[in-house]
Amino acid sequence: MSERIGVYICHCGTNIAGIVDVADVSKWAGEKLADQGVVISRDYKFMCSSLGQELIQKDIKEQKLTRVVVAACSPHLHEKTFRNACKGADLNPYLCELVSIREQDSWVHTDKVAATAKAKAIVSGGVARVIHHEALEPLRVPIHPATLVVGGGIAGIQAALEIADAGFRVYLVEREPSIGGHMAQFDKTFPTLDCSACILTPKMVDVGNHPNITLLTWSEVQKVDGYVGNFAVTIKKKPRYIKTEDCTGCGICWEKCPKKVIDNVFEAGMGNRKAVYVPFPQAVPKYPVIDDVNCTYYLKGTCKACEKFCPTNAIDFNQKAEEITVEVGNIILATGYDLFDARRIPQYGYGKLANVFTNLEFERICNAAGPTGGNIVLRDGKTTPKTVGIVHCVGSRDKNYNAYCSAICCMQSLKFAHLVRERTGAEVYNFYIDIRTPSKGYEEFYQRLLEEGTRFVRGKVAEVTSVARVPEEEGKLIIQVEDTLIGKQRRIPVDMVILSSGMQARHDSKDIAKLFGISCSADDWYIERHPKLDPVATMTDGIYIAGCAQGPKDIPASVVQGAAAAARVLGKIQQKEIALEPVRATINQDQCSGCRICNNLCPFNAILFHEDKMVSEVNPALCQGCGTCVAGCPAGAISGTGFSNEQILSQIDGLLLLNITQVAVPVDR
Amino acid sequence: MVDELSFSFEIANLMYASHGEPITNCLQCGTCSGTCPAVEFMDHTPRLIIGMIRADLKEEVMASNTYWTCASCFHCTVRCPAAIDIADMMYALKRYSMWKGQFQDGLIGPDFSEAFVKMIVNSGRSFEPLLAATYLPKFSARDIIQEGLTATGLILSGKMPLLPKKIKGLKKFQEMVRRIIPIGEPS
Amino acid sequence: MKQYAYYPGCSLESLGKSYNLSALAVADVLELELKEIEDWNCCGATAYFPVDELLAYTLTARNLAKAEKTGLDFVAPCSACYKNAYFTNSYLQKDPDLAEHINYALEADNLHVTGTSKVRHLLEVFINDVGLDEIKNKVSNPLNGLRVAPYYGCQILRPRKDHEDVENPQYFESLLSTIGAEPIEYASKTRCCGGSLIVTNRKAALDMVRILLLDAVNHNADVIATTCPMCNVNLEVYQDQVNREFGTQYSIPVMYFTQLMGLALGIVPGHLGMGKEQISGASMLAFAQNTKQERNL
Repeated sequence: MSERIGVYICHCGTNIAGIVDVADVSKWAGEKLADQGVVISRDYKFMCSSLGQELIQKDIKEQKLTRVVVAACSPHLHEKTFRNACKGADLNPYLCELVSIREQDSWVHTDKVAATAKAKAIVSGGVARVIHHEALEPLRVPIHPATLVVGGGIAGIQAALEIADAGFRVYLVEREPSIGGHMAQFDKTFPTLDCSACILTPKMVDVGNHPNITLLTWSEVQKVDGYVGNFAVTIKKKPRYIKTEDCTGCGICWEKCPKKVIDNVFEAGMGNRKAVYVPFPQAVPKYPVIDDVNCTYYLKGTCKACEKFCPTNAIDFNQKAEEITVEVGNIILATGYDLFDARRIPQYGYGKLANVFTNLEFERICNAAGPTGGNIVLRDGKTTPKTVGIVHCVGSRDKNYNAYCSAICCMQSLKFAHLVRERTGAEVYNFYIDIRTPSKGYEEFYQRLLEEGTRFVRGKVAEVTSVARVPEEEGKLIIQVEDTLIGKQRRIPVDMVILSSGMQARHDSKDIAKLFGISCSADDWYIERHPKLDPVATMTDGIYIAGCAQGPKDIPASVVQGAAAAARVLGKIQQKEIALEPVRATINQDQCSGCRICNNLCPFNAILFHEDKMVSEVNPALCQGCGTCVAGCPAGAISGTGFSNEQILSQIDGLLLLNITQVAVPVDR
Repeated sequence: MVDELSFSFEIANLMYASHGEPITNCLQCGTCSGTCPAVEFMDHTPRLIIGMIRADLKEEVMASNTYWTCASCFHCTVRCPAAIDIADMMYALKRYSMWKGQFQDGLIGPDFSEAFVKMIVNSGRSFEPLLAATYLPKFSARDIIQEGLTATGLILSGKMPLLPKKIKGLKKFQEMVRRIIPIGEPS
Repeated sequence: MKQYAYYPGCSLESLGKSYNLSALAVADVLELELKEIEDWNCCGATAYFPVDELLAYTLTARNLAKAEKTGLDFVAPCSACYKNAYFTNSYLQKDPDLAEHINYALEADNLHVTGTSKVRHLLEVFINDVGLDEIKNKVSNPLNGLRVAPYYGCQILRPRKDHEDVENPQYFESLLSTIGAEPIEYASKTRCCGGSLIVTNRKAALDMVRILLLDAVNHNADVIATTCPMCNVNLEVYQDQVNREFGTQYSIPVMYFTQLMGLALGIVPGHLGMGKEQISGASMLAFAQNTKQERNL
């Protein structure tokens, strides 16, 4: 019994009808494809409109259609629309096929005759294919109500608090000993000049105290199994060598510890910490960790001063790493950014010329709890600079390093200019290409800096050098730049240079992405599902991204993304179960030889291997229907539901009009 | 198709081999001019020249001494954040200038290049004393004497060639040259 | 004995004679054979590009084609020749259209170029192919801590972006340390000497030379070591013109790196073309050769 197929050709106003003779195509389909099963063929101005949809629904009922082919725009836009229309008329939505005669035909051709003939071929392909479609039901999986948030910076903290406040469990994993991220390192935040720690620490304390948040610091995710709604995540808790149940956070251990170590993480190499330490006084949790690489006990077997002095006997040098597995329904990655290494630009002198600082180093200088007690001084720790040069765009907007703009450096540079002026009265120069101040209060902040007498020089700094050519330059750092607004090269002697280094993806972002089954862009930021309309979701269901891990942004935007990701997760949790697209691969176990080639091909780690039966099986919840395994299987044992060999081959036959004439002929003009 | 090529197109057409980005990508950041060691002797900075090219200010660009002051050190090229080959663009401007015979008065570069090219076509090798004829006329008397002294010193230490050399396969060499541009026809 | 297709370039036969002499002498001691390319022509340096791009590349392509016939690496001691050869070679590989044009011209001289040779600068041949250890073994007269300012100049480094730190290379310094000198660290080591500007814009070039001399002298260099005949001439021969123009009093010897290498390898200074400089290197030479001579600069 042949199917009863309805064919609908959309005009899309003049988008399609302007190039393709839609009436002709409709008539042709009704006549030439009748023996394929086409019982009705129509053309209409806007198929996606409610009237257009109703047209389809009416025909399904009256003509007892078993298949529907719509020739219109790209399936990316309206596949769902037409599938839902069919569903509304009690026809399984997967028995509807949308073929594109717009993006793939009318929008790319100007020859009307050829375009019309091509449209006929495309419709014919659709009809040939849809005959082989099967009625499919979406997969329903339950959603576990717990959530994993990876990364304890401001974005991760925001996400965790929102979900926890709604009453659901959150596991917050952070690889450093304390949460807080980069925001904890800053002194003031732009444009309000709020003290960074003052606005951050209340949230950190909330996280620490929240009954619904399980805080796992000094920990890293090792393995992620499962799929949306049902992840099993293995987390390694690195040994702190402190018994947290006994530790009161009194601080005697790090006070007594004799071993000083340069703190390259929190203090950006500007200050020291001890071998047993908390990264900063407001750390959450308050428990210190022992750095077993530098601790004298681990190096030589001696000292143990901390153990001697600890009043609650909380030191345990033999503590081992612990692995735990948690079950969660959704995961939010908020792993933050790394700073561009300014040593890669030797002409700026960072690392060679003492008084060239990076932005992070300068933040620590300004911070009252930092290595200089908040005094802006040169590397010698005493001299106050009389002139300061701030260099924008270090490593950003540069095809030799990172081509993108790091979004916050202009504002950060302005902030520095203000702080320098306020605290030292020094002359400040800002060297920029453009001043980027897009958000609320930002342009006003720039105005304020202009009023403060900051000297703006429009020019990207070419060199920072100590080679003096005239007496005024002796003993100074000379910034050589073209002042583009006057068209002259200038050499400006300063005492201190601050480089606004750009943001980069974490050095291991690709590895982390692989662990979670998501992808990274060419610049190694995590890739969002859609850059405009879906910035916190990823192509992998159940995994969300937030904050700078997705790309450079300021604190408000990070907070927004953290909250957005949390809202998405809460929405899923509320639904209690999720319906997954049934377009997936299935392995015919009789044909599977157990070669396992498909296992490694799968970009979503969706294929399991059964040792006992020596066959592979596709996990339908993880499978995204990409088709890689289908192509890779040497035995042809894998078929894509919704993309079976039969369906594709008959669509090709249809495109070549083999279903009409037995011979492929050039498209008739 | 455009009827008249914009000036930046004309210059771009003279940059055939180089693999830099088009000059229209310029951000006008000024790195090139900030780096250029010869910028103090240019009437417009390299960045300004690019800006002027894009604004189709052909006459002003050709009348500038900037591109003839370029030493081809390529420091601008390696630092340019838009990856434009600026030094090569300077060469393109020189080529345009030679082709159209348009350049600032009193410059030595055009005569020097022309003499150099003719010299090589005629012999296959360069010969310094011949080149002196191109620039000495433009020097002040004092500078000519100075140059004479320097040259004498070089001659005495055996570093100045006194006779021009010719390569052996000169005829075929000249045929090769003529397959590119028909200069140096046998007279 | 490793062989190379040697392209001396026009300058090495006249202004840069001592470079040629010392290069060949050093290569001999280090057991490298620099076989001069048969009937090579001028590469056009920087003077050809202002006239015709295609012709400029063709000139160099003729030399590359000849080198290809020998199957040996193309080695140039002069940075300008090196840069022309390197880029002509790389464009020939990347751009079949360009290669077609050039080969059509080369046909008239019964030549064909494919862009497959390796193009090397003499400095890096010594460092990479012979190796610093091997050179050290052959050093019989280490230079007694002579303070040498390694002057890279521009075209040995730029516009290549594909190799060790173009902004702050260190390989020349490591060679100098190997031969017993003390390389000094100075920021202008990759700054241009002016090149052909010495002819076409004398004032500009003299200023550029002045800055190099200033930086080297401020860092207490005994001698400046060069890797290109043009740089050498600009820094040395025109030093007194710089003094006249700017009222300075520089008198620092400028030697080719091969001359310094030659001294360390025990070659007689006369065979290295020494003694014929405009600025006497006598006291520098004496110091380097461990005589009781005081540093006299």
